[in-house]
Amino acid sequence: MSAFRKTGRGRVDASKVINFTFDGKSYQGVQGDTVASALLANGNHLMGRSFKYHRPRGVLGAGWEEPNALIAVDRGKGRVTPNVRATTQEIYEGLKAESQNRSPNLKFDMGAFNNAFSMFFPAGFYNKTFMWPKSFWDKVYEPFIRNMAGLGPAPDADDPDVYASVYGHCETLIIGAGPAGIAAALAAAKNGERIILVDENAQMGGSLLSTPSIEIDGKPAGKWLETSLKALAKAENVTLMTRTTATGYYHDNFVALAERITHHVPNAEIGKVREALHRIRAGKVILAQGGIERPLVFNGNDRPGVMLASAAQTYLGEYGVAVGNEVAVFTSHDSAYQAAFDVADANTRIAAIIDVRGTIRDDLIMGATERGIKVIKSAAITKTFGKLRVKACEVYEPESGNKTKLNCDAILMSGGWTPSLHLWSHSKGGIKWDADLAAYIPDAPNENAVCIGACNGDFGIAAALSAGHKAGGGRKTYKTNETDFGTGLVLSSLPSYLDSSKQKAFVDFQNDVTEKDIKLAVSEGFKSIEHVKRYTTNGMATDQGKTSNLNALEIASKAVGKPIEKVGLTTFRPPYTPTTFGTFTGYRDNELFDPTRKTPIDPWAEANGAAFEPVGHWRRAWYFPKEGEDMHAAVARECKATRDSLGIFDASTLGKIEVVGPDAAKFMNLMYTNPWSKLPVLGCRYGLMCREDGYIYDDGVVGRMAEDRFHVTTTTGGAPRVYRHMEDYLQTEFPELDVWLTSTTEQWAVIAINGPNARKLIEPFVEGIDLSADSFPHMTLREGKICGVPTRLFRVSFTGELGFEINVPAHYGRMVWETLFEEGQKYDICPYGTETMHVLRAEKGFIIVGQDTDGTVTAHDAGMSWAVSKKKRDFVGKRSLARPDLVAEGRKQLIGLLTEDSKEVLEEGAQIVEDPNQPIPMDMLGHVTSSYWSESLGRSIAMAVVRDGFNRMGETLNIPMPDKVIKAKVVKPVFYDPKGERLNVV
Amino acid sequence: MLFDQAIDIPECLNAEALTVSLMGEKARYSLRLKSADVSAIKKASGLKLPAKIMGASHGKDVTCAKLGPDEWIVIADPVQKPKLDKALAKVSKDFTCSVTDISHRNVGFGITGADAAKLINVGCPLDLSLEKFPVGKAVRTLFESASILLIRTDEQSFHMECWRSFGPYLRDFFARVVTTR
Repeated sequence: MSAFRKTGRGRVDASKVINFTFDGKSYQGVQGDTVASALLANGNHLMGRSFKYHRPRGVLGAGWEEPNALIAVDRGKGRVTPNVRATTQEIYEGLKAESQNRSPNLKFDMGAFNNAFSMFFPAGFYNKTFMWPKSFWDKVYEPFIRNMAGLGPAPDADDPDVYASVYGHCETLIIGAGPAGIAAALAAAKNGERIILVDENAQMGGSLLSTPSIEIDGKPAGKWLETSLKALAKAENVTLMTRTTATGYYHDNFVALAERITHHVPNAEIGKVREALHRIRAGKVILAQGGIERPLVFNGNDRPGVMLASAAQTYLGEYGVAVGNEVAVFTSHDSAYQAAFDVADANTRIAAIIDVRGTIRDDLIMGATERGIKVIKSAAITKTFGKLRVKACEVYEPESGNKTKLNCDAILMSGGWTPSLHLWSHSKGGIKWDADLAAYIPDAPNENAVCIGACNGDFGIAAALSAGHKAGGGRKTYKTNETDFGTGLVLSSLPSYLDSSKQKAFVDFQNDVTEKDIKLAVSEGFKSIEHVKRYTTNGMATDQGKTSNLNALEIASKAVGKPIEKVGLTTFRPPYTPTTFGTFTGYRDNELFDPTRKTPIDPWAEANGAAFEPVGHWRRAWYFPKEGEDMHAAVARECKATRDSLGIFDASTLGKIEVVGPDAAKFMNLMYTNPWSKLPVLGCRYGLMCREDGYIYDDGVVGRMAEDRFHVTTTTGGAPRVYRHMEDYLQTEFPELDVWLTSTTEQWAVIAINGPNARKLIEPFVEGIDLSADSFPHMTLREGKICGVPTRLFRVSFTGELGFEINVPAHYGRMVWETLFEEGQKYDICPYGTETMHVLRAEKGFIIVGQDTDGTVTAHDAGMSWAVSKKKRDFVGKRSLARPDLVAEGRKQLIGLLTEDSKEVLEEGAQIVEDPNQPIPMDMLGHVTSSYWSESLGRSIAMAVVRDGFNRMGETLNIPMPDKVIKAKVVKPVFYDPKGERLNVV
Repeated sequence: MLFDQAIDIPECLNAEALTVSLMGEKARYSLRLKSADVSAIKKASGLKLPAKIMGASHGKDVTCAKLGPDEWIVIADPVQKPKLDKALAKVSKDFTCSVTDISHRNVGFGITGADAAKLINVGCPLDLSLEKFPVGKAVRTLFESASILLIRTDEQSFHMECWRSFGPYLRDFFARVVTTR
């Protein structure tokens, strides 16, 4: 048994010894220990180095508020968790813990030179120092700050662990399973509704775990706890969740619970869930988060061994660990006396209780006297001694001016209590200042929520139990034998004879903010607590100022000379405690990050060696390289094969919308720039869609299936937004129209067959359609069968070749594709991907919306005035097209470019200028939108938007590149078969 | 291979308290109707179109669910397709409405077992308790990033549909949940 373990104390199982390491050194703890309690049991208080000054630090608390004792838990490659609080990490066999923010080791830290020069690092130091000279920023200041910033090791490998997420529902969610939460659950469980009771710790019970001497209704607290939890576990409508933190409270009682499933398990298996995020929607939320003790702000209050009085009580009561052999207690609140009595009753010597107050409750004085404890009234600690652990303190009595040195190896401090308002504040619940408590407490709720117990400012176990039972719908009043929790005195500064500029009195332990820093911030003009916070970084560390916010507020309010309510309180934001990215990610990594949509023909493409590219959520076959081919060679081959004989292309991703109803044509007239009334049944037309602002939004071929039915196609990426755009106008602007929209994108697999042999290929498989050129002309469609399944067969072409787009019900797509591909061997059929499709269409000057247009291009700018009806009274965008700036001369217009050197392929996005000898920034005329090598033409081709482009035909323009200037001639953007004769091959 | 939904169900989805299966071929229609015509259309088509949004009716081979104020989906055994095609073509002709064949737009999963609701709640934010989501209820909702149609077919069974290309995503999600629990 280690030196500081107290036999018969605590709830740990002393018979189960557990081995772990801290900074490589082996330690033994027992079942139920945290890293902190086990290290304390071994007499080791030094657990970390502070962030800014690298000061040696021990534990301040015993729970989730801990600012000092941050460790990294190392479970192997990719499984190092930084910034874990040693006070909450349960030990397990083989646990490897490392301290942080020190080099080379915790006892000797080079970074501590910052401490020696701390007078040069006041609040705002970085803001002030790193301003000049400007040239120093990149090379000196930023690398320096980067090196100093951040806590804990950043991950250097992928995390192999699995994280889960799930939704849940309940009528009552109770957060915090201390006396208040448990009593609430006991009462609420009776009505049979679903109840979830969560607690962040390994065991439920809260303060009851460390106060075994308390009796509840005559029963020992431990017994009451055991019975109550047993009853709750038995109730079918109650879910108990331990090791689960409510990290955020969002609108409509939506609460995020982060459950740590295997953090306490040795050799937790990779591939099983490590943490789970429960997204709970609750009817009512009962917050029983408790309170957090406040440190006292005195010179040297951060030396290892100085800690909160309640922490010492917890280490003793819950873990059976004494925090020292000779303990001084420094307090301004009654509650520290009970802590001191508990510690004394476990045979630890109390050096003295130093109380800043002059008047102390009689029963407390009596309790001290009974135990032989000396109480020094109206006094304060003004210095602490010791390097890596406190060994003495100086007690100063202002009335007499006496200064006494007191030997001690731990100091317990209590500056009163702060109700935990974090989740209440997330929910936007109101708060009010309670002058007696010197703390903010809950005011009016914003959700169906209630705060009970200490987090409502009602301290003491009996109060918590009764409030809990009431919140759960019960009426029971509990009685206990506890000492009255009492009151305290809050001082914005403690008595001291030392000049305040010479003191190191820490307010925010994690970010190393001292009392002096806060005063400095105020004196430099920061009056709002939000500004003070940002200037000093108080409360901005991973603990969100759980132990520091109110002390900072007290100091700032005095310095500003305004009451606290006028200085405000900084905002609490989720998460309540640091939460791993894994928890937020849940299952959604790798293939589950976002859906990858695949077409019916995708498995064939994959089996046939396609390279893929993402287009929106879809993955599309990009090109089909043969052995040894790069993209360039594959695309050149695919283009040639299609133009020479036959190409087959998967166009299934095209968006499709079925527009149906007697007013379908009327609706189409409103949504597209083209006229639709006269399009005959079984006719097709290219449709161009504008936004209200007159710019091109989408395009696609539309087929008229019947008088009242259109088969609309959209671009692949545009499908969802076009559907939404149409539905939006239908519902808000044209609700009188009898027309309905149904997305049919995925109903149809679409196989595009292009090339002189296209008709010959499909002829043998088509039933019920006369394919002859005369009876099935370009830009019409037919219904019939292909390969025995129904088809909507479009005769359209995006390549300039004879082309068909075969629509078949999606689950038949692969069969039809494979049948045609097999037959196509006769014609050297070539499967091609999106890249070849892009080249073939560019050769014909067909635009791609989003590539050749960018949201500022009108139909006229794109050379497509022909697609805009002049007769229609109205369509979306019509009025904008008459705007002076849209009809002005000299707008950027879509033209073709042919480079002087025909082998030179321009870079898409390259800027175009008239005079490349101008100084930078040159007068830019526009940019290249599409550029390819055209195998059919044996040269490069490009499209570009250029200022006044239509009037520049024949001009030579310049495209400056980093190493040269490329010259190109402006031409019409139709490079191949300008008369369109190839469409009519028989 | 004629009919191909391109989704294999892995072995792990055939577990003790949880089975996920891929449904075979179905006939599916999206109906958009004017409320004044609904009773006449019910009579004309023989379809039991529910009156309440999120309601569903279940015949032997035909399920009808109301997904919005004017929107129904009909899911039927493929043997019913010729009959339904004919009946709905007549509805289409006689009433001001929209009937669209979406048989191949969706794929369907059957999710069954004591853990069925738990699996669905991994990605679906709705309360799936029997009180809040009773047998027969049908909704269009979400499973993480996929839009789904969810129908409770009995206490421990659900019929889930999504657009075809989202099927593998759901399948992979289910498999991840089951293999890592």
